[in-house]
Amino acid sequence: MHLSKIEIREGTRVEFHSNELLFLASSGQPYRGSLYVKFESLGESFDTVDFKRYITSLRSSTLNAEDIAYEIYSKIDETIESQNLGVVVDLSARGGLAQRLSFGEEFVVTQKNNIFQVG
Amino acid sequence: MNREEELSQLGAGQTEYKYSYDPKLLESFENAHQGNDYWVTLNADEFTSLCPITNQPDFGTLIINYIPDVKMVESKSLKLYLFSFINNGEFHEDVVNKIGKDLVELMEPKYLEIVGLFYPRGNISIHPRFFYSTEDEKYKKIHEHRFLNANINPQRVG
Repeated sequence: MHLSKIEIREGTRVEFHSNELLFLASSGQPYRGSLYVKFESLGESFDTVDFKRYITSLRSSTLNAEDIAYEIYSKIDETIESQNLGVVVDLSARGGLAQRLSFGEEFVVTQKNNIFQVG
Repeated sequence: MNREEELSQLGAGQTEYKYSYDPKLLESFENAHQGNDYWVTLNADEFTSLCPITNQPDFGTLIINYIPDVKMVESKSLKLYLFSFINNGEFHEDVVNKIGKDLVELMEPKYLEIVGLFYPRGNISIHPRFFYSTEDEKYKKIHEHRFLNANINPQRVG
């Protein structure tokens, strides 16, 4: 799944958030989670429609839960030049256990009550 | 028949996940308290299907409330059944009605309602509701009351 690069102003801080992450565990059971991405632009970002398609493509991908943050991090990192890139994934509980996975720059995620909440 | 004999999926060592709609996954067990009317609520926060036109994924929470009669739905089989919608193209309104009809066929409950709280698409979230009751006056009255008061306190998701 290809992400198209777009030019943006250098130094722009970009954050993405989605509550619609889904991929398959090795058992075949779907994992659901929330995704948070943050980076600072070095003049590049990626097309958001492509990013949505990439996230959607994970629905049929089988991954260990622990690898999901790296999978998304590496996809972005191989597409654009950026600095301070970080990815955080909060997974829904399975067997009473919820997992948070992160890769790259650490940051505090802003959890919103709904997708229209600003700030 | 005891409950272990009634159920094939709960406690099975190996679970097979199906990725296309399959109502045969649903299993029931016998209500041990048939002389007592009571509510059962099942919340499914991870429901997902596809838009039948664009193939884009849809997500939502399903809230299932029912008053059992003889049969009750077993929750693991419900989980597997709901997962089976993952690659199915369904409008939100259709999927809630479809699940409602499948559960009525499985359990023949005294009363059943389902609310689908789907995530917004194009700025609009859709919340379809399914209602069913037997012809018994008591449950018809509940049906009428719940139907007439269905959206007094609208919920928001996303």
